[in-house]
Amino acid sequence: MNENRRQILEMLAAGKITADEAERLISAVEKEPASSASEANGSEPRPKTKAKYIRVVVDDNGKGTGATKANIRVPMQLLRSGVKLAALIPKAAQAHVNDALHEHGVMLDLSQIKPENLEELVDQLDELTVDVDDKDVKVRVFCE
Amino acid sequence: MIPYAAAIRIRNEQSRGTQRWIIPFWLAGLLLLPVAVLLLPLTIVVCAVARINPFPILHAFWQIFVALKGTVVEVDDPHYSVSVEVS
Repeated sequence: MNENRRQILEMLAAGKITADEAERLISAVEKEPASSASEANGSEPRPKTKAKYIRVVVDDNGKGTGATKANIRVPMQLLRSGVKLAALIPKAAQAHVNDALHEHGVMLDLSQIKPENLEELVDQLDELTVDVDDKDVKVRVFCE
Repeated sequence: MIPYAAAIRIRNEQSRGTQRWIIPFWLAGLLLLPVAVLLLPLTIVVCAVARINPFPILHAFWQIFVALKGTVVEVDDPHYSVSVEVS
């Protein structure tokens, strides 16, 4: 047993951390040597593959409640094209859209959004994972 | 690569009937071509009056169409099941 794992278990035994926290810490400690091992070997880390699709999966939590299920796969390229279209909104229309957004409590200024920012935003979606567990439905949003 | 067809499936869970359509985009384009020709003069006039350059908009829509390839939407309801796949 390595030193880090022992310390985590000691903290758990002393009641300083909960079992959940201990589990998270142990998994974090286990991941660390794997990534540092590849660096130590001198082998280049594998290039991260870019996500091609964004998936939305709505399931009924396996209880057979008869809830609507959905499985949606949208190409990331479609999001990129969509945001490019949004960037074409004329300046005169932007003021109206801003007003409407403000009325609904969304403090967003469309004039401040540049196509390159939106491009960056879509690129960052690679890391996105949303899990929602309700009593009837389970929703997962992720990229693949 | 431009998408070439959309496959639509609608299944009625009560009657157990399934309807399937495969719509080739070239055929849809061909059928919509007369409508596009009719709308073209109107579009030109509207763009000229509103001082809008239609080409960036057309380009953006074309990009959206091209990006549709690989889109899958499946919705299962206790009564109906709908699936749309663009390939």
